[in-house]
Amino acid sequence: MSQAIVSVNAGILLPVLAPAVGAAVVLVADVAVQQLRRAHYVIALASLVVGALATIAGLSMVAGGARRTLCLPGSGQCMYVADSVASTLQLAALLAAALTLLLTWPDDKKQSTGGTAVIVSLVLAATAGATAVAGARDLGSWLVALELATLPTVALVALRGARSAISGAIALLTTALVSFGLLALSAALWFTATGSGFFTPAAAITAINDPARRPILVLAVVVVIAGIGFKLSLVPFHAWTPEAYDGAPLPIAAFLAGVSKIAALAALLVVIRAIPPGEPSLAAIAIVSAVSMTLGNIMALRQDGVVRLLAWSTVAQAGWVVLPLAAVSTGAVHASGAYLLAYVLATLLVFAVVAALVQIRGAARARDLQEYRGLLADHPVLASALGLGLLSLAGLPPGFLGLVAKVAALGPVVNSQLWLLAVIAAVNAVLGVAVYLRWLLMVVSTPDTSVQGSPDGVPEPVVHGAALVVRAHPATLAAVGFTGVALVLTSLSPQLLLGLLGG
Amino acid sequence: MVILLIGAMVIPAVTGTYLILSGRGFRAVPEGAANMLSLVASVVTAALVIATVIARPVLNQPWLTSLGVRLHFAVDGISAPLLILTAALSVAVVVHARSRPSHGASPSTFYGCLQLVELGALATFYARDAVIFYVSFEIVLIPMWVLIARYGDSHDLAARRDASGRFVLYTVLGSTLMLIGILALVQASGTADMDALAVLHGAGLSRSTQIIIAALLLVGMGIKVPVWPLHTWLPPAHTIAPTAGSVMLAAILLKMGTYGIVRLVVAPLPIGFGALSPAFAVVGVIGIIWGGLACLVENDLKRLIAYSSVAHMGFVVLGLSSGTTVGLQAALFANIAHGVVSALLFFLVGGLKERWGSADLATARAALREISPRLGIALVVGFAASLGLPGLVGFWGEFLAMYSAWSPAPDRPQGLMRVLVVMAVLGAGVAAAYSLRVLKLIWSGDRTTPAHEDARGGEWSVLAVLVAAVLVLGVAPGLLLNSTFKEAAAITMQVPR
Repeated sequence: MSQAIVSVNAGILLPVLAPAVGAAVVLVADVAVQQLRRAHYVIALASLVVGALATIAGLSMVAGGARRTLCLPGSGQCMYVADSVASTLQLAALLAAALTLLLTWPDDKKQSTGGTAVIVSLVLAATAGATAVAGARDLGSWLVALELATLPTVALVALRGARSAISGAIALLTTALVSFGLLALSAALWFTATGSGFFTPAAAITAINDPARRPILVLAVVVVIAGIGFKLSLVPFHAWTPEAYDGAPLPIAAFLAGVSKIAALAALLVVIRAIPPGEPSLAAIAIVSAVSMTLGNIMALRQDGVVRLLAWSTVAQAGWVVLPLAAVSTGAVHASGAYLLAYVLATLLVFAVVAALVQIRGAARARDLQEYRGLLADHPVLASALGLGLLSLAGLPPGFLGLVAKVAALGPVVNSQLWLLAVIAAVNAVLGVAVYLRWLLMVVSTPDTSVQGSPDGVPEPVVHGAALVVRAHPATLAAVGFTGVALVLTSLSPQLLLGLLGG
Repeated sequence: MVILLIGAMVIPAVTGTYLILSGRGFRAVPEGAANMLSLVASVVTAALVIATVIARPVLNQPWLTSLGVRLHFAVDGISAPLLILTAALSVAVVVHARSRPSHGASPSTFYGCLQLVELGALATFYARDAVIFYVSFEIVLIPMWVLIARYGDSHDLAARRDASGRFVLYTVLGSTLMLIGILALVQASGTADMDALAVLHGAGLSRSTQIIIAALLLVGMGIKVPVWPLHTWLPPAHTIAPTAGSVMLAAILLKMGTYGIVRLVVAPLPIGFGALSPAFAVVGVIGIIWGGLACLVENDLKRLIAYSSVAHMGFVVLGLSSGTTVGLQAALFANIAHGVVSALLFFLVGGLKERWGSADLATARAALREISPRLGIALVVGFAASLGLPGLVGFWGEFLAMYSAWSPAPDRPQGLMRVLVVMAVLGAGVAAAYSLRVLKLIWSGDRTTPAHEDARGGEWSVLAVLVAAVLVLGVAPGLLLNSTFKEAAAITMQVPR
């Protein structure tokens, strides 16, 4: 590494700096003034909004254009490059984090362990990691940022203190450590193969053209896929997902499904985009994609708890996210990003509705699939929002965003004439529809005529619409509203979302 | 003029969405008002559709620029009859539902779903961009699923769930395979414009590429048609669906499959389709015989008509496979004919099932000609058309399909096609047998108990109009054949004779 001082442009780094500074401010404020709650959320949300606004400059980058900083004077290589894809992923991570905070807000009152400041600062720290990894172009920042995005989530899962939370956190921690080991190994292999500390096509080409170093580069990529596979919940690295989702508080599960997945894909894309088109080594992605979709969908079909169902659906959807990457092309990167954003938006809406139902009907009922029977009659607005989210995940109208994402994801696969993979994806489209319609059928079917009591003494609304005994917290309803409106708008005009990725 | 085209799709979209959302956050629309609103919306839509058929406007706007998808809608001679059929039947189902008992707890959702089905069908027939065709194809799915799952005419929840689930899952498998085929076709041809694809006529695509893409598309859309052995979703769905749903399914949704085959396989992939058409014709003829034999022994009247759909669509497949202009026109004619006849029969049987309490043929009933002459005459006309009696609408499509397959295009195996024609004739004979069996069981005889009332009001007017359509198109098939001739000749690249 050169000894020269790197140039720093704080404006360009703002999407990373804002949540990081926000985390620090929250911790300082907590020391200065005890018993703050609302102030922490306001600080955190403000820092996320500032970060989100800072990504806008990067969104409008034309193809090939990027905002660079932390550049080395000699070689002109930069450690931080935010082009339209990276900026879009950063924006998505920041907004998803803000939604997580909105969901955590009402949950917080019951929390005895882990004060507000801790939870909020952990969320912000993980978000800073997610935005940093999207822009990272050198091995060191990439590794550190990815771990910064991961490790706080272990604490977030564990903080609830329940037995299931601990086992979920242990599963996640073990996974994170193994994953870190693999990623560190892959970084070392990359450096060995290319002799460069940067993920750039120029570095990769020198290694590809040298028969002695080429296998090492291929190995590096395969190990990266394994390491990221843990974080993206790709089979066979998925085992932690149902444990952690189910054990974690609901908002944290939403964080794992949203921000963590964005961070993982951003990290994968940094490596994938450094590989010049036409390389065949990505058969590995085709295989894990096909297996993830299939196993995820089949297991999701067998779940009776909605959080576990969502966990397995994450596994299946992760397969769809990496599906286009089986073909190496710029279009594939865009398709993968578009699919991820569609998935995150729809899944956050579903999580937000479940969170609202937890407040209205109690956790036991809100987490049990059978209890969703007749939801449309009891809570028509929440049920409609849930329906839109589920249909978007299934990729069926009126969830046009999910449908378009499916078209986008299949495009590169078909263009590369991977017919078998395409047909497996088609079968999985059917399985996915079965998963989400099973839930939706509960929602739209008429409620049981037999009157059900509430066994655990949870108050339940008796008359629909007229006299809700318990209402959801305004922050939760705001989360439902934001995601719902965003999903409706992007369904009416999917180009809004596709255009962000620089299409 | 484009405003007509936009209006024809926006009106059902807005009406449907409003009706479905009503009662969720704002006041619910009661049954009578929902019916009236749907009636007004579908009549206005029908007027706009007819106006677009006359004015032929074109809408062509970029939509998903990053995927190269354009909002491209237009009308031509092939889609015009299907558009009119869709619009007319959408009015008919609403009129018919008016005279029937109420539709459960939230009737506005029922009518809203019907509007969205109409939207999806119209958008499918208007679409000129292959990806938009796929998107439109998918619009009908969820509303139809809700219609079967929630408003199905079986009290058995498990049966409704099974039928609706099968319908959705089979259709999604078909449409996703179709999507893969469409993406491959668009990639290989370099355009998603269906008119441009038809003009290219497979230029620049190798034989093997054409066969792979055609196979994907034929299997995908074959599920929707349905082609034997991919038809197993159809009998339960048609049987369980409410009358309006059965009519929309049989008369309109099945046509989306055959229409798609014409637009996306026959026109742009002539070599691929030519190579696969012997096999396609074979499964079509198996469908004719299979459906006919099932009808001979089936004791549930609604299910019987569902199976007869499989047989009728077999003739469409046979006509398409012949590769001639006449065959293509026969297929397009049989498409419309089946739309009219199956709508008539499903309206009838839906009404009878409500009167009888079941659709079981083994139970002794009062003879329709004795106690309800209007239902009786409609039933006779419907089954006579179904068995292909000359002078009625069912005749021309099936006769011309067999005629064209007897002397197929030069690249088709003539011997095989002639054997298939002979088998199709046998199938037509079976159709005569089962049609007469049904008429003997429920129309003739002299029992007058248990009595039920005859068709009146909305029900009778719908039946009368459909009976008239069966007669008019039967006597003057040129009305329809002239509409499709130019485009059909262009697709099969034959010089007009």
